[in-house]
Amino acid sequence: MAGGTHARTHRIVYCSRNALRGSHDAIEAEIRQILEKSRANNHRDGITGALLFSSGSFVQVLEGPIAALERTFETIQRDPRHRDVTVLQIAESNRGFPAWSMAFAGNTAGGSCPAAEAAMSAALADPSAASGEQLLSVLRTLVVREDDWALAS
Amino acid sequence: MTAAPRVRADRQAEAVVKAARAPLAARALDGLAHGVFVFDDKLRVQLISRPMLGLLGFTREAVPVGHALAAILERSTGFSAAAAVLQLCAQSVGGDGPTQTHRLDLAGGAAVAMRVCRIAPRRWLAEFEPLAAMPPAEAPAAALSGSDPLTGLADRQAVRERLEAALARRPVLGRPQVVSFRLDLDGFKAIGDSLGEPVADALLRAVADRLRSALRFEDIVARVGRDEFLILQESPEHVTPEAIAARLLDLLGRPYILHGNLLNVGANIGHASAPADCSNAEDLLRCADLALRQAKASGRGKSLAFEPAMQARAQARLALEQDLRKALALAQFELHYQPQVSLHTGRLAGFEALLRWRTPDRGLVSPLEFVPICEELGLIKPIGEWVLRAACQEAARWPDGIRVAVNVSAPQFEAPSRLVAAVRTALARSGLPGGRLELEITESVLLQPGLATLEALHAIRDMGVRISMDDFGTGYSSLTQLQSFPFDKIKIDRSFVSGAAGPEGAAIVRAVAALGASLGMAITAEGVETGEQLDRIRADGCTEVQGYFFGRPVPSHDIDGLIAALALRREPAEA
Ligand SMILES: Cc1cc2nc3c(=O)[nH]c(=O)nc-3n(C[C@H](O)[C@H](O)[C@H](O)COP(=O)(O)O)c2cc1C
Repeated sequence: MAGGTHARTHRIVYCSRNALRGSHDAIEAEIRQILEKSRANNHRDGITGALLFSSGSFVQVLEGPIAALERTFETIQRDPRHRDVTVLQIAESNRGFPAWSMAFAGNTAGGSCPAAEAAMSAALADPSAASGEQLLSVLRTLVVREDDWALAS
Repeated sequence: MTAAPRVRADRQAEAVVKAARAPLAARALDGLAHGVFVFDDKLRVQLISRPMLGLLGFTREAVPVGHALAAILERSTGFSAAAAVLQLCAQSVGGDGPTQTHRLDLAGGAAVAMRVCRIAPRRWLAEFEPLAAMPPAEAPAAALSGSDPLTGLADRQAVRERLEAALARRPVLGRPQVVSFRLDLDGFKAIGDSLGEPVADALLRAVADRLRSALRFEDIVARVGRDEFLILQESPEHVTPEAIAARLLDLLGRPYILHGNLLNVGANIGHASAPADCSNAEDLLRCADLALRQAKASGRGKSLAFEPAMQARAQARLALEQDLRKALALAQFELHYQPQVSLHTGRLAGFEALLRWRTPDRGLVSPLEFVPICEELGLIKPIGEWVLRAACQEAARWPDGIRVAVNVSAPQFEAPSRLVAAVRTALARSGLPGGRLELEITESVLLQPGLATLEALHAIRDMGVRISMDDFGTGYSSLTQLQSFPFDKIKIDRSFVSGAAGPEGAAIVRAVAALGASLGMAITAEGVETGEQLDRIRADGCTEVQGYFFGRPVPSHDIDGLIAALALRREPAEA
């Protein structure tokens, strides 16, 4: 179902800061929980995308029909596990992650992805559609297959 | 409540019973057309269907499972048969008798048949079948009173009722608190103006949902104005009201994506508690309101708790307003005059008339303190007319050639023909030639000049009166504004003269002076206090100066002396 080639789709790209406190293990468990929930919900709602966690920041790409996207975005906004959300892009677009209900990039809760971080700080310095595009392409290269994502180091 | 014609135990009822036992009961219940809920022997609601929520006036968000039926019914908005429902449910738990059907009459002429039956050892099911003229199922809340049709939140009336009930209950329960939060959005109007009302409505719904999601079921959330909200907490949370306010501000300040638009709004919150701050409903709401106003004054995204000092400040402001309304009749306004000197001739060119307010208890009050309030209260028009008359009267007795400059504020241009008439009358009564009167207007008058404003300015100029632009460089000044009307003079704001505006300031002075020279306008520098400033201003090409260097504003009885002193002084043009 995630392909959605015929229906018009939109894409939202945002980044936010992690508001989780606690040990690496605890944070990893939370992120695992977020991903599991996201995959189940997004599959149900026809949403695809990718999530990056790196050095205390999230970057997320959400794609799908605009109404479903807006509802999911609103739910995510209310989540106290992150804060300082900056929306980098909201535009009509084809799916960039048609096969993933929520792909994950980022190896451990404390680890970092230098390429993603560079793109992220560039995007935060200049939150624009162009920097959102840049982040998106970094994310594409980082994303691992949904089946073999591994949070444990 | 009267016994209704028996409702047949039809297939619907059977389906209800099955659904309530099924694992996905909650969802299954939603499929039923009738409102139903399941409760236990402690009168706690275990399942509730969406049509039932609608009947009780709740939003989609608030699914009150596990709560006491009494609390849910009390929280409901616009459901007028709460007492009867509670009584019937209690009877069922106690009596365990056969299924009965009762007719309940609701507000607005509607009625429902309520049936309660036992479906499991400690579970009962209450079903509500519409009997007559029920409001449409999609918007049940809207048709009932006590709730806001747009957001499904409570309305002002519901808040008042709940608050009064809560405060009346207080003594019985010891000393619990009631906390009231008053919340206004910031930047809301701009969203409606730029993106349209449907987006603005969607935003209000999203805000309402965020508020509900961040608060407990038993808290009351109401919309009490277009973008104004009120929250009541009867039994405060374990965190402080400050922490709750911070949580709400954080949540509402996060981005929204609605109808494809990315939106950001902020909010301000004021909160107050009973009995700590006040004891009755009226006062509690007013205190929270006062705190909100202070919070807004202290900046975007701020929240403040009520303090008694706010009351004092609000009272002081009210007293000031009352005194101002009487000031004109009591002849408490006076004009002081500050000299303006020509840099070409070194001679006195005229005086600017400056408004002062003197009362027996306040002494001399600065215009910065009272003029904005006069504008707000709509007093500035009659006061402005008095200033025109008094200034012309005064100037008429000065030596020939000395002008008087009078400030005219933006609100006076709201009635342009009245202003033109006031100028004409002031000149006629005093006998002052039009050429000796100058009107100083601020840039805000020409921000969006209507045709009527420009016509009035031309009509006044046709009487020979000079028009100058005041405080140039402070507001929304742009050089294009200077083209919208042929000004006789530009007054450069004091900040450019004092050096506060830095090197760019000096450059602006030079540019404006050059522009003025080429357009045939005089250029006055305000706030000249020292000899060095005077030299610099002169070098920059200004044609007139005003400031403490030549004299402070003086009352009219000191004018003759000042005129004589300025005539004696070494002429600045030769310095
Ligand atoms: C950074 C971040 C990204 C998230 N992404 C998603 C998502 O893509 N889809 C989703 O349904 N929930 C996502 N969530 C979780 C939601 O905030 C929320 O917890 C969840 O949707 C609740 O689901 P439920 O109502 O089914 O319990 C995310 C949370 C965080 C902190």
